Amino acid sequence: MVFTTVINFVRARGPDEIWRKRRIFKLAAHFIGRRRNCYSIAVRNVHRALVYATKGRKLKREDMANLWETRVRAGCEQHNISYESFREGLARCNILLNRRTLADLACWEPYSFKSLTDIAKRRTLDDGLAGINADKYLDRIITRGSLNTEK
Amino acid sequence: MSVLKRVQQWATFARIWHLYDAAWQNPFYSAELLKKYLMGAHKPIYHPMNDCGDHVIVINSSDIALPGDEWKKRVYFHHTGYPGGASWTLAWELHKKDPTLVLKKAVYNSMDGNLQRRYTMERLHIFPDANVPSNLLSNISNQIKQLRPKPKRLDEYTEKEIQEFPKLIDLPKNHILR
Repeated sequence: MVFTTVINFVRARGPDEIWRKRRIFKLAAHFIGRRRNCYSIAVRNVHRALVYATKGRKLKREDMANLWETRVRAGCEQHNISYESFREGLARCNILLNRRTLADLACWEPYSFKSLTDIAKRRTLDDGLAGINADKYLDRIITRGSLNTEK
Repeated sequence: MSVLKRVQQWATFARIWHLYDAAWQNPFYSAELLKKYLMGAHKPIYHPMNDCGDHVIVINSSDIALPGDEWKKRVYFHHTGYPGGASWTLAWELHKKDPTLVLKKAVYNSMDGNLQRRYTMERLHIFPDANVPSNLLSNISNQIKQLRPKPKRLDEYTEKEIQEFPKLIDLPKNHILR
């Protein structure tokens, strides 16, 4: 490269150092001790924190999914149906609710959740899946499957 | 908050006392079951930071059944912290020292090692026999179903029940039973 003007020899790389460091310090503002005040320590910890944040995005999804499943399992257990039969029964009735919605229903809308378990039980009974005991209460519940079998 | 809602909230967060009969039960499978009740994971309101665990009273822990030859093979390790302070205790020895410890350790080890574990264990009350203090017994409002039914030994049947049991064959008079 040919430098035609003297001004190009002035040592100036990138943006100003203050602004470059300020960006790191802003991310380190809530750290404790020297890791928020000394740049060389702050930048290390900021990098580590950003890695944790990246990993945490995935872990958070997994943790929430586990929590929802625990709650739905607990709800199913109260109504004497296993989680697997419950999800299978709902899927066969074309009730496509995800774990989050089911967990919210189990927690906040216990009666709505009970009606869902009733539908799933009826459907698993109609389709002859294992692990469900016939219940007199279920006789008044009609699913699309039970209508088809009656014809 | 209306009176109904207030009472509903009390009822939701009230601690329930469960009774579990450990006679003839596998302590390690039972631990998975009891853990759920102690942590409150059997409630749809469960959250790791939600203090919704229940109390469990376990009776007849001296009659637990370990699978296979685990009484002789399972070893409990303890270290005093001093050099040469390691000791290994067989399950049957530990059970003879304290008939509640095998089950207690099984429940303790089945849970994750976090700060909540010690407090969760406080809600587990294990008794080697059926003698439970009446102040604890009066709290019980639920019974946890045993994992497997307790078999009845022949000497626990009355003479009348044995006589009335339907016989398959009538042995001849001169048949010799050894």
